[in-house]
Amino acid sequence: MFENVQMPEGINSETLEHLMNPKNYGKLDDANGVGVALDEKTKEYVIFYTLLDGDIVKNAKFATNGCQDTVVIGSMFSDMIIGNDTEYANGAIEKMHEKLGQLSAQQQICADIVFSSFIASLKNYENIKNGMDEELHLFKMKDSCETTNMENGEENE
Amino acid sequence: MSNIYKQKHELWLSITFASFAINDEDIKARLYDFSQIAFRHMKWLGSNLLESGNNYDYYRDMTLLKRDTVFEIVEALVKEIEDIRADYPDTILGERVKTDDTYLLEYLSQLLKNKTNNKEITAFNMQRKWLDKNLAQEQIDALTLFLFEESYKEYELILIYAYMQARTKETLHFNVFQDLIDESHFHLKSFGNMMAKLGILALPRELHEMTYIVKDLKQFVIDGIAEEEAAKVMCKELSDAIKDEELSKFFDFINYQENYHIELMKKLL
Repeated sequence: MFENVQMPEGINSETLEHLMNPKNYGKLDDANGVGVALDEKTKEYVIFYTLLDGDIVKNAKFATNGCQDTVVIGSMFSDMIIGNDTEYANGAIEKMHEKLGQLSAQQQICADIVFSSFIASLKNYENIKNGMDEELHLFKMKDSCETTNMENGEENE
Repeated sequence: MSNIYKQKHELWLSITFASFAINDEDIKARLYDFSQIAFRHMKWLGSNLLESGNNYDYYRDMTLLKRDTVFEIVEALVKEIEDIRADYPDTILGERVKTDDTYLLEYLSQLLKNKTNNKEITAFNMQRKWLDKNLAQEQIDALTLFLFEESYKEYELILIYAYMQARTKETLHFNVFQDLIDESHFHLKSFGNMMAKLGILALPRELHEMTYIVKDLKQFVIDGIAEEEAAKVMCKELSDAIKDEELSKFFDFINYQENYHIELMKKLL
C-alpha cells in the first residue's frame, strides 16, 4: 500500500486523494478501544478508535490536530487494518515502518504517533476486558521526537 | 446536541466552498458574502443555545461532492437551504435567518435562469496546474502541502476562537477572538480559492472535541503563539521556494499578518 507513496518529494494521486478525503476520519461511537498518543511539546495528538470483535478489527477511525503527513498515514493505516486481525495490524505497523524508513525524521514521528495511538486503543480494549474503568488509554510521546518507552512512559487517563 | 447548529455549520461550509469552487468572480463574491452571513447565523444560533442552557459541538456529517458544473453546485445548495428551513427556531432570530435564506434562494434561482452561468467546475480536477503561472513541479508540491496544512489550520482557528468567544465574559477577550476569527476567515478564503485554482479543493477535516475544548487558555495561547511562529516559517519558506513574484509577495504579506496575530494573542495572557 505504501509502495507508491512519495512524500514530500512528489505527491502522487493516491496521496492527493488521502489529503483531499482522508479515510476513516472522525469519531467511532461504538468503538471498544480508544487510544490517544500525545506529543506534549507540540500538543499534537492522534486519537484512534478501534472496534474489535475478538481479534478482528471490525472498524477503525482516527482524528488528529496534526499535520497532513499524520492525516495521510492515519488514513492509509486505518484502511489497511480494517477487516484484518490484530496480528496483521501489528505486522502492518512493521511493514509500514520499513516503508516509512525513506521518509524524513519528522514524517517518521507522524507515523509513530499514529501507530502509538492504535496500540493505545488495543491497550484500552485489554484494560476494559480486565475490568478496568478506563475511558481511553493515553501514551505520551517522548519530547516531540521519539516514541516513549511505553513500559516506562505510559500514563493512563 | 443541537441538530440545527450542525446543519447551519454544514450550510456555512457548503456556501463557502461553493464560492471557492466557482470561477466566475461575481458569483464567487456574492456567495462569499452569503457564507459570512451564514457564519453569523451559526454564531447567533450557538449563543441562543448556550443562553438557554443547551450546548453545541462541531460534529458534522457532510461530503464535498466533486461537482462538474456551476448549476450542479447551485442546485445542491438550493436543496440544502430548503431542507434546513423547517428546523429554524420560531423566534426573531429564526425569522431573520429564514428571511436571509429566502433572499439567497432568490439569488440562486436567478443564477439558474441564465444558462451562460453554467460553466465547468475545475476546482476538483486534481490537475494541480496554475494556468497563468509557470511553477515547477516541486513548487506546486510545496504549495499543495502548504494549502492543505493551512486551510485546515484556519478552519480550526475560526472554530476554536468562536467556541471560546461564545463562552467568555471578558470584553477584551471577546474582541481579540473576533479579530482573530476575521483574520482566519480571510486566510481561509485566500487558501480555498488557491486550492480551487489548483483543482484540489477539499473540505478541512472535522474538528475533534480534544481540539476545540480548551481547558487552559494561557497554555493554549502559548502553544498558539508557537504555532503562529511555525506558520510564519512555513510562509517564509514557501515565499522563498515559489519563484513567482506575485505569489511570493502574497506569502510575505500573510507572513506579516501572522506577526500581528501573535501580538493579538499576547493580549489574552
